[in-house]
Amino acid sequence: MFSVIFAAAESSNPILPAVPEIIWSVLSFTLLIVLLGKFAYPPVKAILNNRTAKIQGDIDSAEKSRAEAERVLAEYREQLAEARREATRLIEEARKTAEVLRRDLLAKAEEEAGELRARNDEALRFERERISVELRDEMGRLAFDIAERVLQFELDRNSSSALIEQFLGEIGATQS
Amino acid sequence: MQYLAINFPPISEVLNWRPIFLGGSSFAFNKIAVITMLAALMTLVLFLVAGRQNQLVPRGVQNFVEAAMDFIDNSIVRDAMGPDGAPWAPYLTGLFFFIFFSNLFEVIPFFQMPATARMAVPAPLAIAVWVTFIVVGIKKQGFKYFRNTVVPSGVPGGVLIILVPIEILSTFFVRPFALAIRLFGNMLAGHLLLITFTVLSEALFVKSIGLVLLPLPFAMLTALTGYEIFVAGLQAFIFTTLTAVYIGDSLHGGSH
Repeated sequence: MFSVIFAAAESSNPILPAVPEIIWSVLSFTLLIVLLGKFAYPPVKAILNNRTAKIQGDIDSAEKSRAEAERVLAEYREQLAEARREATRLIEEARKTAEVLRRDLLAKAEEEAGELRARNDEALRFERERISVELRDEMGRLAFDIAERVLQFELDRNSSSALIEQFLGEIGATQS
Repeated sequence: MQYLAINFPPISEVLNWRPIFLGGSSFAFNKIAVITMLAALMTLVLFLVAGRQNQLVPRGVQNFVEAAMDFIDNSIVRDAMGPDGAPWAPYLTGLFFFIFFSNLFEVIPFFQMPATARMAVPAPLAIAVWVTFIVVGIKKQGFKYFRNTVVPSGVPGGVLIILVPIEILSTFFVRPFALAIRLFGNMLAGHLLLITFTVLSEALFVKSIGLVLLPLPFAMLTALTGYEIFVAGLQAFIFTTLTAVYIGDSLHGGSH
């Protein structure tokens, strides 16, 4: 087996390069490098670069949108908290106002009631005085009448019994 | 050619291909020329199709090319050269695909020959890389490039006597040879392995008694075919990465 290989090797050296093969391999490699570098490689590279740029841009804009969304959310949260605080403040204020109002009204009502009571007392006192004055006048008049009748009786005893009866009848009518 | 009923072809038969046309001249166009031309053409077509598709969500060819480009950009160019290696991406991409497809023809039916198993393919590539990294070094650092490269900084004078010749040898002589021979050797070995197991499988298939043993070499052949696809990618990756490292060294100055 080995003798066969070695015998064959003697006829043509398998290690040394053959000139025609060198020419064709150099030619094809040179053509490949020139054409690839000039026409074939750049478009593919451009596709890759464009895609990289696009993906980077997409990522950047997504990042920006996310940041914007977060900012808006934080803003809304802040506004909500502010509104809540404001509402609490308003309620508290309304409660205070109501309390003040209640106290004011109560005080005023008490004052008015006091005034009313005083006025009533005054009216009552006045009425009592008027009545007592009237009573006194009436008593005077009655006394005068009685005196007059007594005097009349003294002057005219004759008509005595009938007159007394009449007088007593009159007093009874007045008392009732 | 018959040895224990196993018909091994002579090595010239599996490596030297008759010219298809222009035979006898220096431009003899044979199978290797077809493969290198196809490798270049396939790369160009892939990129042109991918560039033409231009969809936001890549599919098919565009997806494959973009993934490969992304891999070369990130795992080779950026890792080995840093950000300022970006202008070299097209060159390294071309290099990667050219080597990969040239390797891949090792397992493509009817071709079944890696163009890189002929020294005529890896050697010019290695020389191209060698010229590139020296020219880039001189362009970037002037003629101080040679001094920066062969005289490592922070090394005492006595050691330099040993180190400078080693650096000269390793940078300017070993690098191109290692590049060429690594690729060539790997692909040639893979090619011969595949032939060996193919021949064994065939021989056992012909001999009825050997049918019992047929599954073993055939399973090995199948496994090796898969492995060689992996090697095709791996060797292209190694060659391209080393190229990037060498050019990166020239770009950044004596970094070792």
